[in-house]
Amino acid sequence: MRSFGYFEEGKTGRISDLRLWKRIFGLCRAWRAGIFWSSLFSLLAASAAVIQPQLLQRGIDLFITASGADAARLDGLFHIALLYGGTAAAAFAAGFGQVVMMEYVGQSVMHRLRSDLYRHLLSLDLAFFHAHPAGRLVTRLTNDIQSMNDMFSLVMVTLFNDLLRLAGVLVALYLTNVRLALLMTIFLPISLIITVFFSRIARDGFRAIRSQLAVVNAFLQEVLSLVGVIQIYGQEADSMAKFRELNGVYLERNLRLIRLFGAFMPLSEFLSSLAIAVILWYGGGETLQRHLTLGELTAFLTYMRLFFQPMQEIARKYSVVQSALASAERIFELLDISGSIIEPTVPIDGSRIRGEIRFAGVSFTYQQEDDGNGHLPEEGKSVLRDIDLHIQSGETIAITGPTGAGKSTLVSLLVRFYDPSAGRILLDGHDLREFAPQTLRRKIGLVLQDPLIEPDTVLANIRQDTGLTRSEVYQILVRTSLDAFVAKLPQGLDTRIGEGGLDLSAGEKQLIAFARVLCRNPAVLILDEATSSVDSEAEQLLEQALRSGFAGRTLLIIAHRLSTVRRANRIAVFAQGRLAELGSHEELLARQGLYAELAAADLRHGRPV
Amino acid sequence: MRTVSRSTSEPIALPAGILTDVLCPIFHRFRRRLLLGLTALLASDVLYLTLPRYLKIGVDELAQGIATRQRLLVLACGILLTAVVTGLLRYVWRTLLIGFSRHLETALRDRLISHVLSMDQTFFDRRPLGEIMAHASNDLSAVQLSFGLGLAAAADVAVMSVAAVLFMLHISPPLTLLAALPLPLLAVCSWFLSHELHRRFEQVQSQFGLLTEFARNTLVSIRLIKSCTREEQQMREFGQLGQDYVASNIRAAMIQGLLLPLALLTGSFGTLLVLHSGGTMVISQVISIGEFVAFITYFAMLAMPLATVGWATGLIRRGMTSLARICRLLTATSTVKASLHETAQPVIRQSRPHISLRRLSFSYPGTITPALSDMNVEIGPGILGISGRTGSGKSTLCRLLVRQYPVADGSYLFAGHDVNQIDPALIWRHVSWVDRNTSLFSASAAENISLAKPDAPLAEIMEAARLAAVHDEIMAMPDGYQTRLGEKGIRLSGGQKQRIAIARALLADRPILIIDDALSALDAETAQQVFAALRDRQRGKTLLLVSHHVQLLAHADHILLLDQGRIAEQGSHAQLMARSTYYQETASRQQGKEESGAQLRLF
Repeated sequence: MRSFGYFEEGKTGRISDLRLWKRIFGLCRAWRAGIFWSSLFSLLAASAAVIQPQLLQRGIDLFITASGADAARLDGLFHIALLYGGTAAAAFAAGFGQVVMMEYVGQSVMHRLRSDLYRHLLSLDLAFFHAHPAGRLVTRLTNDIQSMNDMFSLVMVTLFNDLLRLAGVLVALYLTNVRLALLMTIFLPISLIITVFFSRIARDGFRAIRSQLAVVNAFLQEVLSLVGVIQIYGQEADSMAKFRELNGVYLERNLRLIRLFGAFMPLSEFLSSLAIAVILWYGGGETLQRHLTLGELTAFLTYMRLFFQPMQEIARKYSVVQSALASAERIFELLDISGSIIEPTVPIDGSRIRGEIRFAGVSFTYQQEDDGNGHLPEEGKSVLRDIDLHIQSGETIAITGPTGAGKSTLVSLLVRFYDPSAGRILLDGHDLREFAPQTLRRKIGLVLQDPLIEPDTVLANIRQDTGLTRSEVYQILVRTSLDAFVAKLPQGLDTRIGEGGLDLSAGEKQLIAFARVLCRNPAVLILDEATSSVDSEAEQLLEQALRSGFAGRTLLIIAHRLSTVRRANRIAVFAQGRLAELGSHEELLARQGLYAELAAADLRHGRPV
Repeated sequence: MRTVSRSTSEPIALPAGILTDVLCPIFHRFRRRLLLGLTALLASDVLYLTLPRYLKIGVDELAQGIATRQRLLVLACGILLTAVVTGLLRYVWRTLLIGFSRHLETALRDRLISHVLSMDQTFFDRRPLGEIMAHASNDLSAVQLSFGLGLAAAADVAVMSVAAVLFMLHISPPLTLLAALPLPLLAVCSWFLSHELHRRFEQVQSQFGLLTEFARNTLVSIRLIKSCTREEQQMREFGQLGQDYVASNIRAAMIQGLLLPLALLTGSFGTLLVLHSGGTMVISQVISIGEFVAFITYFAMLAMPLATVGWATGLIRRGMTSLARICRLLTATSTVKASLHETAQPVIRQSRPHISLRRLSFSYPGTITPALSDMNVEIGPGILGISGRTGSGKSTLCRLLVRQYPVADGSYLFAGHDVNQIDPALIWRHVSWVDRNTSLFSASAAENISLAKPDAPLAEIMEAARLAAVHDEIMAMPDGYQTRLGEKGIRLSGGQKQRIAIARALLADRPILIIDDALSALDAETAQQVFAALRDRQRGKTLLLVSHHVQLLAHADHILLLDQGRIAEQGSHAQLMARSTYYQETASRQQGKEESGAQLRLF
């Protein structure tokens, strides 16, 4: 399967983990009718495979070698041939039915699991996404589910068939001659022990290969994405040498596994030859003593192929089952994570939010990133400490301070990407936790420094979930004079942007993000460094749009450029997670504190405030 | 602005020339391994075919009543001996031939990557990263499978079926013809079916690709989706994509479900014909019962491998398609190098190379609107500032200067030579470049900074970091300069990344330094501080600064203002302040001087 650049390091599941199996079967319950039919088809196909040699034998014993009238023998032979044709047709139909049915069941189960997982992921809060890289989550949704599906289509179909056939053969053998059948049965545990022993070694081999492949691909991905830098600093040869080394290790691990398989496959074939030799020697002896007919001896020989095939299949599919189980384990683990953002049972109606905000003793600590090996994240450093701040409805407030002061965290708390570790945030007098997060996010508009552009049309990027019509979007653009910018794009609102589409500049992206927020008609607007990497012209457009589209609403401007900040009603200066100063530009300058210092620094660098 | 066209995966014809060019050396290198492997394969198959002979002798002697226990033991030992030798031979050919396919894969991957590393930006614009990754992983493993298991199975089938048919012909030519009647039908059917299966699998794969892309986009823009409350909408779309994926899988399963049962059916049908006609022949005493049993055994030997024909051809065909894709990648040439003339390489003697752009025009491949037109610029020692509106061509100019895209003859002179006569690597050795999109490796901080000088002492690395104002922050990391950066290590802020990239450029210490908007994420004070360090380091050399910030540009000796790919205005800071309204506006806006300009008074 195509893996699109995301690779998982090796991990194997335990086949004996009953809890896991229980959960997998629980998922399948809704499709038990399909499973029943599929098993029935499988049983039919296996019976046909076991009956065919029997028919052949009867044909030989009863008609071909028997004495009697030629016409009657020919007639009987014809009947046997007809029966044989019937079983063949039944095997064909059953085989086809089983494959399709099992694929249907497997795919349906996986579709449900995938949808469940996707829904679950979307319900988790940002703290979770902070700790789990997107690539790894994508792998869960796609490759891991695919590998579970492989177990359904490959293993359930072939392995189940093989085991049924093996059982059928055993029955046929015992019916023919108990002593010889007992002798053959000895081969089962021997073969099973060899298979399991081998599979264990192979499992480690597979794991080593997979983890090395992950290393090779991760290296490759990085090199490819940074090829410009590598070239300009002349590191092609160095990178290539490193790559060759990783690739060489990968080769060595593969060769080791090939040698292992090279030894196992002939070994199991040798076992089958050994069985044939035993039948000839012991069975022949039995024939000499008239305990066994010649026809029965031939039947035993014919069944040998059906007898050993399942063993080889088990060995081959063992690793598929294991990686499927490992995938299942990872998926279930993810499904069991619950978000820390809890929706209220009776959320407050948010339709008339005025936009008055109060921070009351708010502190926040980020969780450290998960290292991917399942270790518990450590307690991180606290980013916000004991913040008290009251913002009036309709007020324009600026938030400034040096890098790392916790300005952006404040914003994430406001839209409930996270909940504060201590204290409360009130919107119109209600704790944010009393609103449904969705309501909150509809009422609080957010423009970030680096706006996200999705690979889609301009219209879709602006419209989002609002369901506005094309002309409504256009009217909003006209009202805020952003229509001129859109008109300049090659296909206007239908221009495809984002990855694979038109490459927009930072300023243009910001204009789109702005239009996006305009359409949502929020009560509170937050600009998080929204203009810091935008050129003057775009900035002018933004200001114009802001003036015509947001007059009279609560506005939070986060910026480190003081020229942007100073025009707000009030300025909140943050330092090291604390609210250091609060007041108007003039008041703060007069105070001779941190703000005055920052202003002086700006002044020194030829930027009068 | 530029558009990037995505290449689609249309069926590709295999270019024979490149194929032999790519494969022959590898085959030649492993010729002994291949020869020995094939010999072992042949020998093991022939030996395997002698097994039924022992059975036939045993059964015949039992039937005639001349067998003894001792005789049976001898025959059983014969079988065992043959099995041991066959097993050993099988081990030999498996390790040799399948091992060869792994060696082939490794060699191809090495070649692929070393080729890709020499490509220019035009190449990467046309191919998303995921596509190249898919070539290096999925396509290569398809090639490996087809040259390993696929070829081994094909060789196996060929040897076994020829031998089995010979044995059968020896018993009865008419019966052989009759029994073989359904076999061509099987071959034809499985050919068509596996072709169709391949087509449907491609659909499955592309559906899987859509699903993956969608999931990735969701997770990458989770902030956007949450802040725009689009969860329901996303879920519906994802569910729909999932449904489509399920449907395409079932369509593929319809064909796959036919393949193996069809092979079994054909085998059964053949056996049925043998049973009926052969039985009739025994009854009418045309052939003996012993011959009849042997015939059935050989027919089974023939039918079993034929059942794998479809599988093996599918494997090989997929491998060949993948190989063709890889070959197409290998034939792609760097457009920058393609324009290289075959003349002798000039030597750059100037220690501070001078750059001249003469009537330089450029459009991105696949676009019509020129990104740059008619640029005439002389770049010598000193600071050259470049500014202008977004999309005016500033970054394009930088990318051309570092030879990421091809230029016309005579429009770009480097140290007096037309760049089309110089190996790009020679130019790179004189240039450092820090992009707006920062580029860190998942290696230690020290390794990231010393990229251009891997053996630089730590003191020198620290000095560069200090100049880039990032030293203190690195020291504050858990392992200082040995701290791993990137996805598996510490995640840095945009400003930290930019400063590390600048430290890297400072350490490289090259005559020409290009800073393409790479101070944008720093606050004013830090930006000034870092820029001062850059100026100091680059004194007497060339420093090219792309920026919007007038207070940085003010230090430049000369400033170009670009507009729609042209130089709209140029001159010193003072001259531009006097002449250019755009520049004035930008400056006054940044300095917040226009408090009385009521139109912009917003807050």
